[in-house]
Order: sequence, then C-alpha cells, then structure tokens
Amino acid sequence: MMSFESPWQYSFPPFFTLQPNVDTRQKQLTAWCSLVLSYCRLNKLYTMTVTEAQESPLFNNRKLQRKLPLESILVVLEELRKKGNLEWLDKNKSSFLVLWRRLEEWSKLIYQWVSKNGLTNSVFTLYELSNGDDTENEEFHGLEESLLLRALQALQQEHKAEIITLDDGRGVKFF
Amino acid sequence: MMHRRGVGAGAIAKKKLAEAKYKERGTVLAEDQLAQMSKQLDTFKTNLEEFASKHKQEIRKNPQFRVQFQDMCATIGVDPLASGKGFWSEMLGVGDFYYELGVQIIEVCLALKHRNGGLITLEELHQQVLKGRGKFAQDVSQDDLIRAIKKLKVLGNGFGILPVGGTYLIQSVPAALNMDHTRTCLLCSLFQKKGYVTISEIQSSLKWEAQRAKQVLDHLLKEGMAWLDTQAPTEPQYWLPALFTELYSQEITPEEAKEALP
Repeated sequence: MMSFESPWQYSFPPFFTLQPNVDTRQKQLTAWCSLVLSYCRLNKLYTMTVTEAQESPLFNNRKLQRKLPLESILVVLEELRKKGNLEWLDKNKSSFLVLWRRLEEWSKLIYQWVSKNGLTNSVFTLYELSNGDDTENEEFHGLEESLLLRALQALQQEHKAEIITLDDGRGVKFF
Repeated sequence: MMHRRGVGAGAIAKKKLAEAKYKERGTVLAEDQLAQMSKQLDTFKTNLEEFASKHKQEIRKNPQFRVQFQDMCATIGVDPLASGKGFWSEMLGVGDFYYELGVQIIEVCLALKHRNGGLITLEELHQQVLKGRGKFAQDVSQDDLIRAIKKLKVLGNGFGILPVGGTYLIQSVPAALNMDHTRTCLLCSLFQKKGYVTISEIQSSLKWEAQRAKQVLDHLLKEGMAWLDTQAPTEPQYWLPALFTELYSQEITPEEAKEALP
C-alpha cells in the first residue's frame, strides 16, 4: 500500500489509463510526476529499476486492481527527466536515479546545515555526512552517495567546500 | 334624458363647449388617479423600504428568509438584483451580496477546473464556496448559488445549470456541452449512480445505437470533462471527476488557487 496520504487521483481508476485527450493527459502526467516524487521522498528512494517501479505500489494499485502499463510508466519517467527530476543510469533505460530535490537544492541544504551549526573549517567523511548521527534529522540524511558527491562538487565549484581523499575513502572540508 | 334640440350653429357651439368641459374633467380625473396611484406607490415603497430596512439583517444573514423575500419581490414584479444601483442594493446590499457570491463561484470553478474539467455538483460547489467565505461571513444557501449563477449568465454562455436527478451540475466552461440538453441530462443521471458509464449501459438505458453513445462519450473526453479507464473488467468505463465522490470537499491547493487568477 501507499504509505502516505495519496492524492485523489490514486484512487481514481482512469488515472491508470493514459488519457487520449491532450489537455487531460498533461494534467494526468503532472499529477503522476508529483506522485512519483513524493513517493520517493517519503520512502527515501534514489535509484530504482523500471521493473521494480512497475511492481511497486506506486504504479500498481492492488486495491483498485489497476496498474499503469509499462509504456505509460516510461512516458511518466521521461516527463520527469525533462523536468530535471530524473536521470537514466544506463543506455537501455532500465534503471534510473530520482532527484526529488534538484542537485542545487541538495547542495544548498547541506551548506545550510554546515553554516547553521558552525561547522565551517571542519572535515567530514562522506559517510559521516550521509549516515552520521549528527545529520539524522536532516533531509539529506541517507542521501545516495553519488548524489552526495555531486552536490559537494557543486559546492566546491562555489569555493564553499573542498573534496579530499582520505585513507578510507573520500572526505570534505567546508569553508 | 336630454331633450332633442334644433341643429343650429348655437347647438354646435354648445356641444363643443360640453365636449371641452368633459375633456377637462377627464384630465382632472386622470390626474387625480395618477396622483393617488403615485401616492399609493409611495406608501408601498415606503412600507417596503421600512420592511427591508427593518429586516435588513435577517435578509442578509438568513438564507431561508432571503428566499422568501425574493419570492415576495417576484410576485409583485420587482427584481432586487436587476440593478446594481437600485434602491434595493443601496438599502440591502443584496446586489453586492450576489455580485460577491458570483465572484466566489467563478473563483472556485476556475480553481477546480483542472480536476473536474469544468463540471461540478451544486453540493460540492456549495461546500467549497462556504469554505472560501470563512466562518464569519453570512450564510449562503444553494438557492443563493443558483440565483448568483443565473446572474452570471448575463456575462455570456459561460455558465450553465444542468438538472441531474434531484440536484444540479454546474458547468463553467463555455459552449462545452453542445449536445442537446436532454441528452446531456440523461447521461449525467446515468453517470451519477457510480461516477462512470459504459457504452453498453447507455445503449440499454437510453436505447441508443452504440455509435451514438460512443460519439457522445468521446465528446465528453474531448472537452476534458470525462476520463477513460480501459482496465475495467468488461468494457471501457467513462468517468466524470465531477461525480467522483472521493474528490469531494478536498481542499483547494495553493497551486489550484493560482489558476483562478487571470
């Protein structure tokens, strides 16, 4: 079952049929996109295969006995990609990365936490940032590693951080 | 009885004089009547004004009272809403009331248009308008809504009221339902049972050809009022979000509220 208060569309049977009318379909796709993003945010999902998605409660409403067909799922995912909320992880488009926050938003969140807690000039391992006790209440806690790295690289570009190599992996120093 | 007299010039002159006198008398009488009538009208108006100002609060606050007042006005041929500048609106503020209500109706309809394609039940509209008005605004009845919507029709054919088995569907998209009225209403009543219909249901209840049923349903799809579900067990179902009960009384989101802005 969906573990959050799903939008009305989720219990509306035709939502699982891609609509023939262009305007209606546009509304439908918008609703699907925000549903995917809030589902992933709530379940802290970053990567998924298309097959997993197909079987997840997100696209498969067992109670209603409706599922979004594969071609339609691909249309939704493509729509998310156009909005910058999704990246394909392989050429075959079989797995993807969901950015329920854009990269720049992640960077901002991390840096806000750093400055709020007076942690500039401190060094962290990447693991500490995403899995340490200190960040437990932060939204970026549990952030997928490649995403975290890219968010930090963006901060490095702005001279707010420097990524360093430590013995047991990578670390970062904030300025 | 008058005596017959000769037909001399004197007689003619006399007759003319008499006619003139009658005429004069007639004018006086008519003037009297007019004066009396306007006096009566004045009294009537004063009484009505007195009544109106005395019950102003009730008329404004109590929807039932308002219906009765409207009915009373209708029987004597007065439309308190006809003019924004009449003494009614000055006296009661009813013109403003319906004007304000009309604006609120338009806002709700526009905000929810992307959900329901421009069709909404009167009950749902009522709920949403009440929510929007807040706790301390004067109470509004469904009768008030219908009146306000009828006034909105002056703005063009954008608003329509479709009777559907005991209640109404309000249509807020111009010229969208160009199928004939009865057909639409029949269809809507079919929809009302479950929120959807299928082609064979229409065929059996309305004795239509499948082709005709499909045409009408396709039209509703085209207008964005209906959604298609092809995964139903036996045959495709056509759904009206306007009649989808789980959608009722859902809060208008800030994004939707933005849609209502020009």
